[in-house]
Amino acid sequence: MTFIIRNAAGESVQLADMPFARGGEAAVHAVPAFPGVVVKLYHPDVLQKRSAEMRTKIDAMTADPKLAAFKQHPGLAWPRFSVFDERQQWRGYAMRRAEGVRMTVLAHAMAYREHFPSLDRPALVAYLLSLLTTVQELHTANVLVGDYNPANFLCDPGSGTVALIDCDSWQVDAGGKRFRCPVAAPDMLAPELQGKQLGGVDRALESEHFSLAILLFKLLMLGRHPFDVVGGASPVENIRNGHFPYGMGGGGIPKGPWFNIWSHLPFKLKEQLVRTFREGSANPADRTSIAEWIKLLKLYKREMSKKYHDTVIKPANPKPKDYLGSQPISQPIIA
Amino acid sequence: MSLLTSLFPVSIPRISISQENSMSQSRIDLIDNPSPRCPVALVLDTSGSMAGQPIDALNAGIRIFIDEIKRDDLARWSVDLAVYSAGGKAQRIQDFVGAEQISGFAPLAASGTTPLGTAAGMALDDLEARKRTYRSTGVPYYQPWLVLISDGGPTDAWQDAARRASEQSARRKLVSLPIGVAGADLTMLSQFSSKPAVALDGLKFRELFQWLSASMARVSASTSSDTEVQLPGIDSWGSI
Repeated sequence: MTFIIRNAAGESVQLADMPFARGGEAAVHAVPAFPGVVVKLYHPDVLQKRSAEMRTKIDAMTADPKLAAFKQHPGLAWPRFSVFDERQQWRGYAMRRAEGVRMTVLAHAMAYREHFPSLDRPALVAYLLSLLTTVQELHTANVLVGDYNPANFLCDPGSGTVALIDCDSWQVDAGGKRFRCPVAAPDMLAPELQGKQLGGVDRALESEHFSLAILLFKLLMLGRHPFDVVGGASPVENIRNGHFPYGMGGGGIPKGPWFNIWSHLPFKLKEQLVRTFREGSANPADRTSIAEWIKLLKLYKREMSKKYHDTVIKPANPKPKDYLGSQPISQPIIA
Repeated sequence: MSLLTSLFPVSIPRISISQENSMSQSRIDLIDNPSPRCPVALVLDTSGSMAGQPIDALNAGIRIFIDEIKRDDLARWSVDLAVYSAGGKAQRIQDFVGAEQISGFAPLAASGTTPLGTAAGMALDDLEARKRTYRSTGVPYYQPWLVLISDGGPTDAWQDAARRASEQSARRKLVSLPIGVAGADLTMLSQFSSKPAVALDGLKFRELFQWLSASMARVSASTSSDTEVQLPGIDSWGSI
């Protein structure tokens, strides 16, 4: 089967036969005539069920003038225009071709070494700043990501930037209508959204702040989840209970390099993580905003360049100045 | 008794591990690599009736499984594999070990009766122990998998292990997948799960294990240890 698709004006273009990415809902094809563009085609069974609903959202995302700039944004695979098959049936949309390695591989204690062999902390912070800056622009336009799945954030080792894909699942206010984000991974979700039917919920900025803090922690801590705790409950249960093991009053930090890494992070950054995960667990207003994270991460980057902080990914020892007691230095101490 | 086992009364390791696989070694793996784990226990009928083509195809399938898991950049750090055989006696061929640490697999031989119940019981016990280790190291885990393959039915007391497996599967604490090779007692095998056993189409072990590794890749790529994962269809190996 060769894929010929058309835009609304009827202009046709041929797609590469084999998709270069395939998921549960759709396949993404390259367009040989336009190397910078790819086309997302939903699977027929998905279209059968939700074609009209999906088309309304994509058309609104491509038509709303307030969102038009996102189509050219280098950090976004924002829908540019709807595409149709030869029988004029709606099949999906065209978007920018985003390059990079899934963030799941970067935020991973082992897998990062293969794709990011020279990774250091300034590089991690650069990816975070790129991601946060883009999400901040989205928030300004009332677009909430909702589904913070690191597999949809592509990190480009060449430029140190992040591109966000799968934009059609986000919560978008477009054409005077709100389109909700019906999905999310429970591990990345704020406590107030746990167990909810997400298709029926309007996402809030504060919930985004919680998910972003989890993502930030996971990236700085090599994929370790902030709510991985020794002794029983799953990360999701710990999110619900606000059991964050790091920092004063925590407990249950897993063995391994995690405490060392944590101890080397700047105090102000740790303070905001503790605040967001602990006080912010029950009080969404107590969660750190993107603007604040950006300020703190820029400061971290500057301070690393002045050698105030270790730049290696896994420091061998805890930071000596965090040493507060009489135990040998190899023992985990409260930071 | 196969000639090999009578020559080597001590059980010989079938899966070789790159480093010494003491309990502490596998704990260290969980400390350095906190990726959410997907434990998979293969419980294999290696009784006399599997001799010849079936055991050859099964061995080839397991080899493909290990190779494909190790090629996937996330599954290789997330899949923990254990293997049990039921041929004459029930044996633990390999306790749970990270796929990344497996460096080889020696083919299984087929002989004797089918103590599948005992082998499945061992697997379920080891799975409980593995989950305790995950919890004590703060490593999250996906729903564990029990894959049970037989061309007949258990010849030992199997009801207890079957009840445990099917109860856990009904509570969604276990993906229990009994698979029948030609001649299998599918009704009996179905007792090991809350879902019916699937009949293998001919000797499509290759396709079965390719599906299993593709499923593991999807599970390992899912963001959350709590989400439902949509698995690929089984038409390539399941007979209708």
